[in-house]
Amino acid sequence: MERIFWVECRQCHGKFYCDYTLRNAGLQLICPFCKDKFLPDEAASLDERWR
Amino acid sequence: MPKDLHTFLDELRLLGPEELARVDKPVRPAHFDVTAILEHLAREKRYPTLLFRSTEDLHGRPSRFPVATNLFATRARCARALGLPPERDKMELSLAYAGLERQQVPSVVIPADDAPARQVVIGQDEADLAILPIVRHFEMDLAPVLTMATIMKDPDEGFYDLTFIKTFYKDRPRRAGLTIHSPHHLRILKKYEERGQPAPVVNVLGHHPAFFLGSLALSPWGTNDYDVIGAFMREPVRLTGSETWGPDFLVPADAEILIEGVIPPGEKEICDPFGEVTRHYQPQGLKQAFDVTAITHRNDAILQDIFSGHEEHWFLGSIPKEGSMFNSLQRQHGCIKAVHLPNSGAARFTAYVSIHKEREGIAKRVATSALLESWQFNWVVVVDEDIDVFDEQEVLWAVYTNTDPSRDVDVLKNQYNIFHSAAGHQKIIVDATRPLDTVFPEKIAVPASAMERIKLSDFGL
Repeated sequence: MERIFWVECRQCHGKFYCDYTLRNAGLQLICPFCKDKFLPDEAASLDERWR
Repeated sequence: MPKDLHTFLDELRLLGPEELARVDKPVRPAHFDVTAILEHLAREKRYPTLLFRSTEDLHGRPSRFPVATNLFATRARCARALGLPPERDKMELSLAYAGLERQQVPSVVIPADDAPARQVVIGQDEADLAILPIVRHFEMDLAPVLTMATIMKDPDEGFYDLTFIKTFYKDRPRRAGLTIHSPHHLRILKKYEERGQPAPVVNVLGHHPAFFLGSLALSPWGTNDYDVIGAFMREPVRLTGSETWGPDFLVPADAEILIEGVIPPGEKEICDPFGEVTRHYQPQGLKQAFDVTAITHRNDAILQDIFSGHEEHWFLGSIPKEGSMFNSLQRQHGCIKAVHLPNSGAARFTAYVSIHKEREGIAKRVATSALLESWQFNWVVVVDEDIDVFDEQEVLWAVYTNTDPSRDVDVLKNQYNIFHSAAGHQKIIVDATRPLDTVFPEKIAVPASAMERIKLSDFGL
């Protein structure tokens, strides 16, 4: 199982998750609910807990 | 008449609405109308093939293409598609599948003018994926997704490889994203990437269900999948030259809709989430880009779709694997009675195996072998031969009554698993057979002689 992180969209506040390789890749994520594009650090919130 | 989706739907139509339900009320597939209907039916344990005859395309306009889905939603229907008795839909179906995948029927090439799939040709400049009524399946899905099979051709050996992959609509007419997991597709793609060349790919959006069942055969590298599919179709697959590459890339002449295109070397697109076979969403990630070079289709083309994470998606996993797994384990151990990949394990990451147990320890040997039969397995449960592996209640009864957790469950750590689950990269084997090295209670049974003597019909039941 590969690591994932949860993202809260900065625009619509919908929540989705991504493969952790996108966390620091410098690529914009795409919100599946409103199609806003933003970097992970621009998200309304991130949940990166992992064990 | 060659087999195609239309000929199979005609067969189903004669069997009534529980096999083929035609929906005339307009639906908007990109707005979850199709999957909401499928989910309602699934909750009622009803699995008809659905033909939505009035659909909307991604521009919000009435589409010329109906949508067909749930074709594979019962094992009996899959048996029927392969020309087998629908009542023999358990181990017999899986073994028949394993027999078919060892056969080949050479394909034939016909002129493009005679190919239904080339009746309408939309070239690169006019091609627009949004003319299709592509289904958006689940709430968190990134976009509408095409869920059927794709074709690639090995650039060195010239064989064709078919598998199921997802194609994500990317809000542009001729650009999509592909999520390729198949080892053979990835191996072919790597060859093109190493040469810096675009990799041709053709998406097959509808054909006879035997075509797609055959595309899932566990063929060795180098096998021409068209010829294997011919064995499942029980007739040669008719091929024709593609619009983009002509005779250098042959496509199925009796397909409904074909999307031709290339994976440009090194180009990626953000794809996912998508509601996957495991009933979890695949996380968003970077996947292959896909540039459309042509769309061709029949005059009366139907767009076929898979209701992922539900019965038809699961049976497309279990039926192709159970028979070959049975044969492989039987060759090694000689005591195998049945193999089943249950829907509770998405027909991918769990296997139930029943054995004739003659001594302690054999169940774990079988379980260890079974783990090697698919890189997707997380769990293997082995039961005695009197347990029907197709009846999950019986299997779980065996687990709850026969299994000593301190001795009969083993966890293999640091084993790669592809699917997200709390097990992480661990694999679990469970010996749920009755112990032979200690006294143990007996399973209840009405005497077999009484069962034979008493017939329900004699009692008006």
